[in-house]
Amino acid sequence: MSNKDSIKLQNIQKRFGKTKALDDVSFSIPENSIFGLLGPNGSGKSTLMRILSGLIIEWKGEIFFEEKNIISNHKYFLRHCGFLIENPTFYEYLTAHQNLSLLAKITKCSLDSIEKVLVDVDLIDVSHKKVGDFSYGMKQRLGIAQAILHNPDILFLDEPNNGLDPLGIEEMNKTILGLHEKGKTICVSTHIINDVEELCSDIAILKEGKLIHNSSMENLLDKSQDIVIKGKEIHLMKKYLTGSNACKIISSETEKLVIKTDLDIHSVGRLLPKNTTVRSIAKQPNLVDLFK
Amino acid sequence: MMKLLIHNEFQKIIHRKRTYIGFILIGILIPFIVGAIDSGGNMLEKSIYGQLSDSFFFVGSLINGYLATYIIIAVLITHMPFLSTIVAADIVSGEYSKGTFRLYLSRPISRSKVLFSKLIIVYGYTILLMGFFISYALLISLIWLGTGELAVFHMGLLFLSEDQALIRFFIAFITSTVVMLTVSSLCFLISTISKNSVTPIIITISTVFVGTAISLIPIEFFEMVNPYLFTGYINSYLSAFHDPIPFDNILKLIIVCLSWTIFFIGIAFNHFNKKDITD
Repeated sequence: MSNKDSIKLQNIQKRFGKTKALDDVSFSIPENSIFGLLGPNGSGKSTLMRILSGLIIEWKGEIFFEEKNIISNHKYFLRHCGFLIENPTFYEYLTAHQNLSLLAKITKCSLDSIEKVLVDVDLIDVSHKKVGDFSYGMKQRLGIAQAILHNPDILFLDEPNNGLDPLGIEEMNKTILGLHEKGKTICVSTHIINDVEELCSDIAILKEGKLIHNSSMENLLDKSQDIVIKGKEIHLMKKYLTGSNACKIISSETEKLVIKTDLDIHSVGRLLPKNTTVRSIAKQPNLVDLFK
Repeated sequence: MMKLLIHNEFQKIIHRKRTYIGFILIGILIPFIVGAIDSGGNMLEKSIYGQLSDSFFFVGSLINGYLATYIIIAVLITHMPFLSTIVAADIVSGEYSKGTFRLYLSRPISRSKVLFSKLIIVYGYTILLMGFFISYALLISLIWLGTGELAVFHMGLLFLSEDQALIRFFIAFITSTVVMLTVSSLCFLISTISKNSVTPIIITISTVFVGTAISLIPIEFFEMVNPYLFTGYINSYLSAFHDPIPFDNILKLIIVCLSWTIFFIGIAFNHFNKKDITD
């Protein structure tokens, strides 16, 4: 994975009437990552996807792609991106092939690419069937096919596993990992924590339109082993814990100490000197805690 | 790109059943009306002659294909807004409601071009429908009832030769199509605003209905505003059969309808280009 950012979002704000759908959201999507945009329903994930795809016109903030603001280069940006926004919708009275053909023409990609993507998503045998007769899972796969039709570098998949049965989810996750192996940067929005744990290398968590966490999964998992101690006489605690050789100090503030240890919370409590005031000892929040 | 977008829109409408409703209805209705004119010819002739038969002696029959077409247009023209809005009503709102704009507009294409391609299709459909309506009525009527001079009432009984009749029907096609294009434009505008396909039809037809009512109510204020409303020209095809043809009135019709069309389409483009697609 490269350290270079593929897309950088800065202070994104969007209001629907009096409701703040996105409130000053800033983060970066690293190149070649599978980036998870996690958040409960109504947290602003789809709004963000729609802003990126140009479906939402009026918003505030800046988005950079290849260090250029996408507002002045939106067509260029869209040429490099593929989108699957929410549930897949197609012209149901047309066949899968006809649907893709409409889209292929406007993105100026060859008709051969239609056959190729239909093979990729295993829909080639039903390509001349009307989409109205497709199951939800088939439509979702066709959704992926339309997103990768013009061979984009970045894919934005909004809740790709929504409505799929466990087998469908497994297949979809395999498809996403396969696309990542082909060098694509993928941004997946979801409210399912398992999806994130299984797929993502980086993560941003949105809640009520606000960004509440953004890091690599590695960092998050690493941090979730840390223990936070809040109280007074932190310098004394620090001295005792360092002396015990069972803990490593990560950071210390006036009334807060973060340590890394294999011990559980109770054992850490027992190590602390009696003449200190401990207000709380807790593990750093993990993905589930953050999501809550 | 424009050609491709128009081709895409064409592909979409030819695969939809509702596109053919107007043509099928006209295709079924017109032979019925022609058959009715044929069987009730004597009664019709009596009502046309009226008191003239007291002063004149008529030889032969006035009932022929041209007169039947004239009557068919008179009967059906007020219903044509229903049929001409079928495609316009759904062409944008249908994509909102089904969510297909999420596929289409997240591609590197200009919204204005997408909307323009849809507009071209709406206008193409309206012109084709009106052309089919008049030419099919002429074809069926002439085959069934034969040719002859066209007798119409305008400051008395006016007889138009066969050649003149065809020219007059062509002018009637032009004038009625100009009005229908304005009706379609209004429906297209509502379609860019509404999220369902029924609202544009209801609003457009209500507007036509109210506008037509205004043109019929003899109140000074209504008489003053009526010349500036496109709805006042729905029956203007009749002027194509006057002698001489009132070209100044036809020009006024074209100017009024064109002004309303530009107004409707201007708002539609402005709204669509600023609209957040959230469905």
